[in-house]
Amino acid sequence: MSGPRAVGGTDIVDLDRLIGRLLVWVTYAAVTLLVIGVLLMILDGISPLAGGPPLDPGTLVAGLIALEPAAFLWLGLLAVIATPVSRVIVAGVSFARRGDRTLAAISFGIIVVIIIGVVTALVSEA
Amino acid sequence: MVVGLLMLGGGAAAGVFGSLLGLGGGILIVPLLTLGFGLPLREAVGVSLVCVIMTSSAAAGVYLERHVANLRLGMSLELFTAVGALVGGSIAFLLDERLLALLFAGLLIYVAISMARPRPAPASEIGDAASADPAAAVETARHAAADRAAAAATDDGLAGVASDLQASATGFAATLSGPGYLVHGFGRGIVGATGAGVVSALLGVGGGIIKVPLMHLGMGVPLKVATATSNLMIGITAAASAVIYLIRGEIDPYVAGPTAIGVFVGAMVGSRLAHRIDARYLRWLFIIVLAYTAVQMLVRALG
Repeated sequence: MSGPRAVGGTDIVDLDRLIGRLLVWVTYAAVTLLVIGVLLMILDGISPLAGGPPLDPGTLVAGLIALEPAAFLWLGLLAVIATPVSRVIVAGVSFARRGDRTLAAISFGIIVVIIIGVVTALVSEA
Repeated sequence: MVVGLLMLGGGAAAGVFGSLLGLGGGILIVPLLTLGFGLPLREAVGVSLVCVIMTSSAAAGVYLERHVANLRLGMSLELFTAVGALVGGSIAFLLDERLLALLFAGLLIYVAISMARPRPAPASEIGDAASADPAAAVETARHAAADRAAAAATDDGLAGVASDLQASATGFAATLSGPGYLVHGFGRGIVGATGAGVVSALLGVGGGIIKVPLMHLGMGVPLKVATATSNLMIGITAAASAVIYLIRGEIDPYVAGPTAIGVFVGAMVGSRLAHRIDARYLRWLFIIVLAYTAVQMLVRALG
């Protein structure tokens, strides 16, 4: 466990800055993908209430190349959901490198909880 | 196309309102999509979670860069909000939609009453102890907490209070402290954070309505830091349940896309308008909107 040194020290300040930038830039990237998707929706005359296709990761790349609105929207939505998860991974690795075992373990625990959620949902859907 | 623009505009309105009043857009997005566009409640919750993550990520990024949010405290509590979200996200698929609507109506009424109550004057946020030496600041805060506890014990005749507070202000919680304040009551934080996660996953809201008072009143965190840290936590709380909604097919990209963009743009506009608008009148307008929406949700639940 880290002591008071880590509380507000320069290492935490650097980590704050790194994670802050990560959050902002990934969010802007996600927004860009969503904007492209919505513009393509409008061009194709698709109503939001038409019912979108389910997520199929295997066809995402082909959909992007074919300029399908759903592909851009799904990629944007995945980026949105992945943003806080990537923040936890970056923070966890950073805490581990600094020897802050408690916070590294907490970061790992958060990821494990999310993985349990994914597995539980997949099992329920199967 | 008209529906898409309405969704974008509705999302933008939710984002502006949420930003001006310090609430996430989630509390407005779910009623907008269910009552306004006739979507099933669970689908609206899934879309709302995506919108909540997006606005919280952008805001949390700025808060972190400005060193307002407490990353260590936020991540420590996030473990429990994520557990709560996992439980809530699983329960949501077992409950009847009408019961969810009833719960949402209850949440709307609670928020409306909270907003109608007169607010105390904001306390000093981060005191002079926010000096260049964080360890000294923590020590100062620790002494201040002990002094307050001792004073409370003298005033109320509760001799145990001082020693309890002093005891709770040590150990792991103390290592989560920031410049000028000392974190205590981590056990309380665990319970509250877990509850916030369940509520967030069930109803598609960020859960800030629980987390901010929990950290500010229950853990000794200044209001400004509590708000910023709550914003940071909302992302992972909502993501933990959003993956469940996503895998179970409750997030429609054609609905989520326009709504999320609307909320994002609305939140940005709202943050720029915040200094120019008298929030008192806006608050009362919002309370009326919440009360009306609560009645509509009740009708949906009971009808």
